[in-house]
Amino acid sequence: MSSTEPSQNKTWELSLYELHRTPQEVITDATEIAVSPRSLHSELMCPICLDMLKKTMTTKECLHRFCSDCIITALRSGNKECPTCRKKLVSKRSLRPDPNFDLLISKIYPSRDEYEAHQERVLAKINMSHSQASLVNSITEGIKLQSQNRPQRARKNIEENSNPPTTNGNPEPVVQNGSNGSTSVPKDPPSSASNPAPPAQLTSNPASVRSTPSPVPSNISSISKNTSTTKRAKSIMTSEHSEESESSEGRTEGENSMDTEGEGEPLNPNEIELVFKPHPTEMTGDNQLMRALRDSSVRYLKTTANASVDHLSKYLAMRLTLDLDAELPEAYRLLNFCIYVAPTPGQFVPLAGSQTLRQINDKFWKVNKPLEMYYSWKKT
Amino acid sequence: MAQNINPHYASSSNPAKQNEDTIKLKDNHAVSKRLQKELMELMRCADKGISAFPESENLFKWIGTINGPLETVYAGHKYKLSLEFPNSYPYAPPVVKFLTPCFHPNVDTCGLICLDILKDKWTALYDVRTILLSIQSLLAEPNTQSPLNQQASYLWPNQPAYKKYLDEFYSKHRD
Repeated sequence: MSSTEPSQNKTWELSLYELHRTPQEVITDATEIAVSPRSLHSELMCPICLDMLKKTMTTKECLHRFCSDCIITALRSGNKECPTCRKKLVSKRSLRPDPNFDLLISKIYPSRDEYEAHQERVLAKINMSHSQASLVNSITEGIKLQSQNRPQRARKNIEENSNPPTTNGNPEPVVQNGSNGSTSVPKDPPSSASNPAPPAQLTSNPASVRSTPSPVPSNISSISKNTSTTKRAKSIMTSEHSEESESSEGRTEGENSMDTEGEGEPLNPNEIELVFKPHPTEMTGDNQLMRALRDSSVRYLKTTANASVDHLSKYLAMRLTLDLDAELPEAYRLLNFCIYVAPTPGQFVPLAGSQTLRQINDKFWKVNKPLEMYYSWKKT
Repeated sequence: MAQNINPHYASSSNPAKQNEDTIKLKDNHAVSKRLQKELMELMRCADKGISAFPESENLFKWIGTINGPLETVYAGHKYKLSLEFPNSYPYAPPVVKFLTPCFHPNVDTCGLICLDILKDKWTALYDVRTILLSIQSLLAEPNTQSPLNQQASYLWPNQPAYKKYLDEFYSKHRD
C-alpha cells in the first residue's frame, strides 16, 4: 500500500497486543465453536461485485481473490494492475483459478442457489419499491433484524439511519402512486426471519485515502444477547414509530392518529389486529355480495403475524360462505378475493398472496393501531 | 429506458434485439446490485463526516455530503456532491462533482474535481465511501502542483489569508 508501511513493518517493537497475548487453550473435547456467516463474509466476498466469490481467481503474485468474471472485466477495462493492491497484472496469465476456495465456499454455503435466490429477492424487493422512503424502510427492516444480535449497536444505527433521507431533502411518502401499486408489491415469500447479512465491512483502504478509522468492529460479541434482546427490540420498535410519524406529519390529515404514538401495550409481537372492510368503490351497495352481507361486512380479526394474504382470503371465503350460505345463489362462490391495504385514505394498494401480515404492517401501516385492510370480491 | 429496471419487465418484440437488450439489462442489474450493496453498507455503519444516498428512484445518481475536515480551513463547512455512475461501474469511476461551490486548488468553478483516483488511478475496489473519504482528504491536502483554481493554489500557502478569503467566499455565496 503506502510507501511508509513496509518500513514500519521492519521495526521489532511489539505492539500492546503482542506483549499481553496469552496462548489459547487447545480444544480437546467436543466443544463446537460457531462462527457467524457474516464474519466470514469479508473473506468470501469478491471486492468488485461485493457478492460471494464465484469461480474464484487468485492473482499469482499478490494472492488477492476475485470472481473470474469480475477480474477479467476489470483487466479488460482498465489498468493492468491488481484492483486490490495495484501490483502489476500483465494479463489473464497472471491469475490462476482457485478451485479449493470454491470448494471451501460450497462447504460453507452448500446451496448457493438458495443463497443467491434469497439475495435476488431481497434486492428485487428494494428495487421494486419505487420510492426512497420504502427503500429506506426495507433497509431499516433488515437492520432491525440484525440488530437483535447486536443489542448495543442497534439504537445508534437506527438513529443514524434516519439522517440520510432528511438531509437529502424531502422524504417521499411510502408508495405514492396507487395505480402503480401492483408493481410495487414485492413478491417476497415470508422469510423475514432469515434476512441475509449485508456485506461485511469493506476492508480495503486505498492508498491515497487516510481512512477515518471505522469505529465499529463488525462483530460485537454476543454475551449480552440473551438478556436484553427482547427489551431492546421493543425500544427499537417505538423509536421507529415516532420517527415514522414525524416524517409522515405532512402527508396525512387527521386520519393517521398521532396521539396513539408510543401508547398502548403493543400486543404479543407475534399477533396482529386488523379491521377488514369491503373495498369502498369496488364493493358498492348494489353488489350482490354486499347486499347479502349487509351489516356483517366489516370484520375484526386478531391473528398471528405470520399469516399471509392467501390465508386471509381463504379465511374470508370460508367465513363468508358459512355466514351466507342460505342467502347466496350457487353461482356466487366466494373464491376470489383481492385484498388491499390503504396506507393513506383513498389509496388502495393490492397485496400479493405470499406477503405476511407482519410485512404488510411494517411496510404500509406502522401506526400503532389495528391494521385496516380492504377486500373486494372478483367474479370468476 | 429507465436504467435500473428489472429485467423481468423488459420485453421486446425483436428476438435478436431482445438478446442484446437482456445482456445490457443484465449488466445493469449487476451494477444496481453493487450500488444497493454499497448503500446498505453505508447505512449500516455510517462514517463520520460523509454521507450519500440516491438522489431519487434512479440508483445511478447519488447525492453525497462531506463535512470539511476538522482542523483545516474547511472545518465547519459542508459540501454537497453529485455522483453519477456509468453502466460500466465499478470498472469505470463515477462522475463526481461539487454541487456546493468549493474554493479549492483542485476544484474548478463548475465543481469539477481533479483527483487521480477518479481518473486513471481508479480501480474497481473504490466505492462511494472511499471516494468521499478521498475527496475529504483532498480538501485538507490539495495538490498545488496541478491546480484547476490558480487563485486558490496561489493563496494556499498563506493559511490565515486563505481562511479569511474562504469565509468571505462563503458568506458571499450564501446570499
